Parts: sequence; C-alpha cells; structure tokens
Amino acid sequence: MSQKTVVIKGTKDGISIILRRHSDFNTIKNSIFEKLQKGGEFFRGGQARLLVKEGYISQEEMEQLEMMLKEFGLNLKKDPPLYTVPYPNPPQPETLVLKKTLRSGQRISYSGNVVIVGDANPGSEIIAKGDILVFGALQGMAHAGADGDVNSIVAAYRLQPTQLRIADVISRPPEGKNIIPQVPEIARLKDGVIIIEPLCLP
Amino acid sequence: MGQVIVITSGKGGVGKTTTTANIGTGLALLKHRKVVMIDADIGLRNLDVVMGLENRIVYDLVDVVQGVCRLKQALIRDKRFENLYLLPAAQTKDKNAVSPEQMKNLCEQLREDFDYVLVDCPAGIEQGFKNAIAGADKAIIVTTPEVSAVRDADRVIGLLEAEGLNEPQLIINRIRPDMVKRGDMMDIDDIIDILAIDLLGVIPEDERIVISTNRGEPAVADENSKAGQAYRNIARRLEGENIPIMSLDVEPTLMERIKMLFGLRSRR
Repeated sequence: MSQKTVVIKGTKDGISIILRRHSDFNTIKNSIFEKLQKGGEFFRGGQARLLVKEGYISQEEMEQLEMMLKEFGLNLKKDPPLYTVPYPNPPQPETLVLKKTLRSGQRISYSGNVVIVGDANPGSEIIAKGDILVFGALQGMAHAGADGDVNSIVAAYRLQPTQLRIADVISRPPEGKNIIPQVPEIARLKDGVIIIEPLCLP
Repeated sequence: MGQVIVITSGKGGVGKTTTTANIGTGLALLKHRKVVMIDADIGLRNLDVVMGLENRIVYDLVDVVQGVCRLKQALIRDKRFENLYLLPAAQTKDKNAVSPEQMKNLCEQLREDFDYVLVDCPAGIEQGFKNAIAGADKAIIVTTPEVSAVRDADRVIGLLEAEGLNEPQLIINRIRPDMVKRGDMMDIDDIIDILAIDLLGVIPEDERIVISTNRGEPAVADENSKAGQAYRNIARRLEGENIPIMSLDVEPTLMERIKMLFGLRSRR
C-alpha cells in the first residue's frame, strides 16, 4: 500500500482526516481511533473535517465516525460537502435553433443538434454532432452525427439535399431524377446505408 | 507534362465557367485527353453546378491546399466522359484561403498526371485572379461583343503580360449575327482590332446553352447546339487542328461577310 489509509493533519481551523479507503470500514475506524487515542486530551473541543480522497463513505458509516469523534470531544464539520459523487448522467447535447434561411456558402457547424426554422438553400452546409431538423426545404449539404454517431438522423419538411452524410456514410440523390418530395421525410442509417422514409406521425 | 491554361475575362458573366466546362469536356470527349478542370472561384463556385457534379463534392481545393485530404481524394471523376476530372472550389471560404504559391504547386502536381489543366478564373483582378493565373502557362480570354467586356479583357491582357503570360488567345462569346448584321453589335474584327490577340473561337448566342447549363450537361456534347459546335472546334484548335471559324448564320450575306473577313470556307 503506497499511501496510508488514514492521515490526520492539523489545520488552522481544526484537524483534517484524509481517508483512502483501501480496506473495510472497521480497519479505518480502528486506525482513526488509535491515532486519536495517542493524542489523548489534545483534540478535545476541536473541529474535524473528513476528506475522502479515494472510495466513499456511506451515510451510516459517517454517523458512526461522527459518534466516535464525539467521544474524543471533536465536532465533525459537514460543510463543505465531505465527498463528491460523479454526476450520474452525462449532459445531453444541446440544440441550436436558427430561425433563418441558410444561404449558399453559409455553414453551420455545431456540437449538438441543429434545428433550422427556414430553408437550407443549395450550397449551404449543416454539420452537427447530433441530429439535424429543417422546418423548410433542405437543399444543401447536411452531415448529422459528424463525430461518428450512427444513430443520428436528418429530417426535413422537404428533404432534397445535394448530399447527405450520416456519421461516415455519404449519399446523394439518384442520378437524373429530380424528385420533389411531397411529405416531410427522415433519413437515417440502416445496415450502413442511408435510407429515406416519410416522416409519419402516429 | 500537360499544360496549364487559365480561362479569364476580367468582367463577370461573359461565360468563363461555361467555356471551361465545354472546352474541358470537348478535349476529353473528342480527343480523349486527360483533363482536369479547377474551379478557382472560391466562395462563389459554379463549375460544379454547370457540370452537374455538385452533389459529388466531398473535399475541395481548399481542403487539398490545407492538407485536409490528398489531391486524388478531392478530384471528382466525371462518369459521363472518360478522362474528365473536376477539382471543385470551396463554397464556405473566401479567396484568401489560398495563396498564389499554393495554386502554383497544385498546378505543377496536376500537370504531372494530366494533359490539360484548365483553371476557371473568378471575375475581377484581385486575389482570386492572382491565384488563378499563378500556375498557368497559357491564357484564354473570354469576352462578349460589348464595350465594357472588351475594355475589361484589354485590362486583363495587360495584367497577364505583366505576369509573363504572353500571347493569350481570345474567345468571343454570345455573338448575335443578326445584330452584328444590323450594326447594333460589335463585329469580330472590331474586337480583334482593339485587343490585337489571336482569335481562338467565336461562340454564337444559343439558348441551348441555358438549357444545358441548367441541366448540368455541357453543350459541347449536344450535336444540335451551334454553341456546342463552336466549342468542339475550339477543342480541336487547341489540339493544333486548323479549323476555320465557323459561319455564324445561314443568311448568305453574313456568311459572305465572315468569309470576307477570314478568307476561308465555313462549316467544318
């Protein structure tokens, strides 16, 4: 064990008990007990802080420690928070909403989803790490899931792109046919190929 | 080693892009030459649209210059015409994204693999023009029979000479024989008098050009297009064939007039 499980340090506003939980709680408890006992009456009336550097301490164990510290005349300070837990859900990608016509040569590059309320004209480019929604005619280039997210989609009120890209798959409309869609459509990846379907509402 | 030809005009809208597309296609189609067309009009690209290759662009000229991709990855092969390639411009950047030295290097690289490197120059005489002519060893000037277009062509010829591009060749585009006949339009020899350079070809005004441009199919491949015929002749002349300037109208008076001008029989 390279680092000690329990280290007690004196600070200007009391003592700090630094924990690295490599072993079970009783060992830790005993270790603290031994150290405090060596100090005898020295600690009485003081303040204590608990810093958990590795592992965690449950609420129940915390209460046990608090009781034990009380016996030595130490008051356990509970704020600032004694330990932190990583936030359980990573933040969802944000969505950029643009209410404008995207013209030739204009390029939107965003690290989340992109929603265009308007048209995306030929020669415009939309690049998003997430999904792309166009409430209008999409006639430019659209690249959804630019970071490789194969579950990204491109949907538009009129889906007539010059070129569609989802993750690392590129597709373009069939040669020689100028099909003007009459319904909103959605493009997504299926078995490594971009497919386009009518966007049906249930 | 191929040759690098820049197609320029000074004035906008005279038909540089249409000319580039048609000469490039003509050389590949009729002469089976290996041709690459470079769209140097960064930020206002059109050559891809005129060629009907817009939807196949993945990488562009700026990506190549900045090392984002390899040159071969950015070249779009035209599936309709063997040996015809396009290097598209970027649409979301501007002319300053490329320097004349970089264009020069690019042209040097391309001429290794191609018989013809055609550079479609942007309008104007600023950065884009300087980039486009940087790697060229030959220039084609496009003009229309209008005083303003001829004036700009004259200015550009002077600028080309200053850059060491001597003896450019002239294409007179969108000529209307009926108007020339009435004296309402500049004549071919009026223009030649002012510009004093070699005439490479004369393209009649042709509404099929509008149709073919909108469809993305170069008129040079259209047997029924008069302008297409004129471009086919230009491609042959570039290859060293001696082809007379074609008659612009079936009206005998004009035919005589042109025969008089050039002392040649018309209609190849």
